[in-house]
Amino acid sequence: MAHAIWSGAINFGLVTIPVKLFTAVKTDDLSFNMLHKKDEGRIKYERVCSVDGIPVPWDEIVKGYEYEKGQYVLLTDEDFAKVNPEATQSVDIVEFVELDKISPMFFDKPYYLEPTKQGRHAYALLREALADSNRVAVARVVIRTKEYIAAVKPIGDALVLELMHWASEIVASDTLDLPGAEKLPEKEMQMARMLIDTMSVDEFEPQKFSNNYHDQLLTMIEARAAGKELPKAKKAPARSKVVNLMDVLAQSLEASKKRRSDANGKPAEAKRRKKTAA
Amino acid sequence: MSSKERSTISVGAQTLSLSNLDKVLWPRDGYTKGDLIAYYRSVAPRVITHLKDRPLTLQRYPNGIDGETFFEKQMPRGMPEWVERVTVPTPGGSRSEVTFPLCNDEPSLVYFANLAAIVLHVWTSRIPVLDEPEFVLFDLDPGEKCTLRTLATVTLAIRALLAEIGLKPLVKTTGGFGLHVVVPLAAGYSYETAKVFAEIVARRAATELGELATLQRTIAKRPQTAVYIDYVQVGLGKTIVAPYSVRARDGAPVSTPLHWAEVEAFARRRSGVAPADEFAKLTIRTLPGRVVREGDLWGPKAWKKQRLEVASAKANRLWTDQG
Repeated sequence: MAHAIWSGAINFGLVTIPVKLFTAVKTDDLSFNMLHKKDEGRIKYERVCSVDGIPVPWDEIVKGYEYEKGQYVLLTDEDFAKVNPEATQSVDIVEFVELDKISPMFFDKPYYLEPTKQGRHAYALLREALADSNRVAVARVVIRTKEYIAAVKPIGDALVLELMHWASEIVASDTLDLPGAEKLPEKEMQMARMLIDTMSVDEFEPQKFSNNYHDQLLTMIEARAAGKELPKAKKAPARSKVVNLMDVLAQSLEASKKRRSDANGKPAEAKRRKKTAA
Repeated sequence: MSSKERSTISVGAQTLSLSNLDKVLWPRDGYTKGDLIAYYRSVAPRVITHLKDRPLTLQRYPNGIDGETFFEKQMPRGMPEWVERVTVPTPGGSRSEVTFPLCNDEPSLVYFANLAAIVLHVWTSRIPVLDEPEFVLFDLDPGEKCTLRTLATVTLAIRALLAEIGLKPLVKTTGGFGLHVVVPLAAGYSYETAKVFAEIVARRAATELGELATLQRTIAKRPQTAVYIDYVQVGLGKTIVAPYSVRARDGAPVSTPLHWAEVEAFARRRSGVAPADEFAKLTIRTLPGRVVREGDLWGPKAWKKQRLEVASAKANRLWTDQG
């Protein structure tokens, strides 16, 4: 994992747990640059004033909020600093609630929390207590210069901070024209339920789903970078798939070999406990 | 003894109190919980060879095979202290660790059977090295209209592919419709290795077998006459029905290790025989005798631990150059 993007503390009651914040999800999106077709020169953006048509340097640019068409209130960096709640640098727990009492609509983006050395014990306590009571903490948190509402959840050995939307950001669905539940024939309901049953799985396995568009795009890019055009994707996939798998297998065997050679200090993965009858 | 009574028996060093032995678990066959316990005791040394030190998931049927079933993915409440157990971390789970029971001796086996744990599912690895599978697994699942002959043909084709690269697999019935083919592994291979290797063999088999086999994971899209080659059933925490485990189906069939000659005989069978009809002959009635006659076909003598380096090189040479 890369370096922490924030460090601060979880506060609840009289307890303070110093923690660091780490990214928990990364997007797979590919980013592209715009180039000039004939010479592949990077396209540059220029900030041009709409009144006099002249490029404007950064130090002459200020931010304005359009409170009415064409009417602006100007704000300087000092103005932003004045209302900046940065001083807190903390995750202040306000209350605890059962997880399923929070609509999933509210969750936005998860981050991992890692305790610093002094915080490990309290961190573990909070995590286990949350897991035992099946609750999550609702907290106010400030990251960089913005204040958020967030939930702190135990997931495996980690506490995860999940940023949430403010109530005012959630668009109510009552502006949509949605059918009610009145007089649905029991037969049809049964069929629908049966369909759901036959398509149900015991566990959700996210790795079953892959981002095909992204993968194919990446394959194409890699092939072009290697200087060859992709074969027309007709008959070949079965064979090329095996070839790729062979590479994966070779790498995997190599990794196993390395593992074996430094297996002497292998940490025990599991603790066997044989209790003797009292 | 009336069904509500408890009876006390000694198994090995332990004394167990068993309940409701007359309770019928297979209503159309009349087999009771007492019969289940008697079966597991009769094959105890064999089955324990395969259960030992592997985290165990019990599939319990407290009200028989027609009633509700539940998977117990942690040690049962009130498990006696003498039953061994293992605690494993569960990254991503709601708890940070889970304690699984182990079935390392006959008293433990009887205790589980008394819980109406008809089906015993085990991990494919053993403590203390839970991140290394002990075999590569092909789970061969025939479609609804697939014949025994087709299933056997596909199974033998996979065996032939493995033989071509120098590997010797073993085979057993799942106790349901299908067959399990495994290649016992030497120590030191990761789940990743086992899975990729299985995928390579499965893809090769599917290419060779054409319409007889499918790799389609969505049941509805599989041809009903084909065999689904499932190569993804090996992974950390994934389980397999243990050899000699009973299944909760009419007739109380048992997951039974087979001779390859038996599979060869299936492949010569006239078409029309359904796999489940044949495998239904291997039950808690017939297994104790069979095990005495045949021994454990997956036992230590047959269980040759194999390496994948040379086999992989051969597969690479043989299977990637031709179309």
